[in-house]
Amino acid sequence: MAKILIPTPLRQFTGGADSVEAVGATVGEVLGALTTAHPDLKKNLYNDEGKLRSFVNIYVNDEDIRYLSKEATEVAAADTVSIIPSIAGGR
Amino acid sequence: MIEISAEAWAVMVEHARSYYPNECCGILIGNETSGKREASVAIACRNAYEGVQKDRFLIDPKDQIAAERKSRELGLGVLGFFHSHPDEAAYFSETDLKNHWPFYSNVVMSVRSGEVRDAKCFRVDVDQTASEEEELLWPKS
Repeated sequence: MAKILIPTPLRQFTGGADSVEAVGATVGEVLGALTTAHPDLKKNLYNDEGKLRSFVNIYVNDEDIRYLSKEATEVAAADTVSIIPSIAGGR
Repeated sequence: MIEISAEAWAVMVEHARSYYPNECCGILIGNETSGKREASVAIACRNAYEGVQKDRFLIDPKDQIAAERKSRELGLGVLGFFHSHPDEAAYFSETDLKNHWPFYSNVVMSVRSGEVRDAKCFRVDVDQTASEEEELLWPKS
């Protein structure tokens, strides 16, 4: 099972857990298992069209899935999936 | 309410000075007990915005992964982020509002003539439609 690291704002939807293990061969499957187990996470990760929100970055280990195969990116049991908020701004 | 430690504040001030007249950015790590946040560590990040950095910043997600790892090693958590407004007041702009997540404490430092003159902290509501000022304590001397 891959390990998913949960950022602090989303831990309220995982019962306080800072990481969750989920079964799946791809990022899409792993995140699907995560949101099935913790349904309140879904609206925070996906938009109304069912696509990952633009300000949500998903990394497998140290790689951005946008530069791999997006949600079809393969995930091994030893991999760590990180949900990273996009933080930007300015005047 | 969030209190910044002397060590963390020193990192933030030095980072804001070194980036002036551009915007600096970074990550705050600490813990929260009974509603009070204590940021004991500040991580200075590279401004990853590809454009004019005097009024924009972007935190590299890889820096966030590293901060997340460090916070877990220390038994702490990522509490929020900081950035500077060169020659502007410490306020939370529309751009800030659209690009920050709820929950986090977001410290904005006003830097004028290269020196930090003021700082305020803001939290974003769950819909990212409004921000609310959060009480901020930092070492004044």
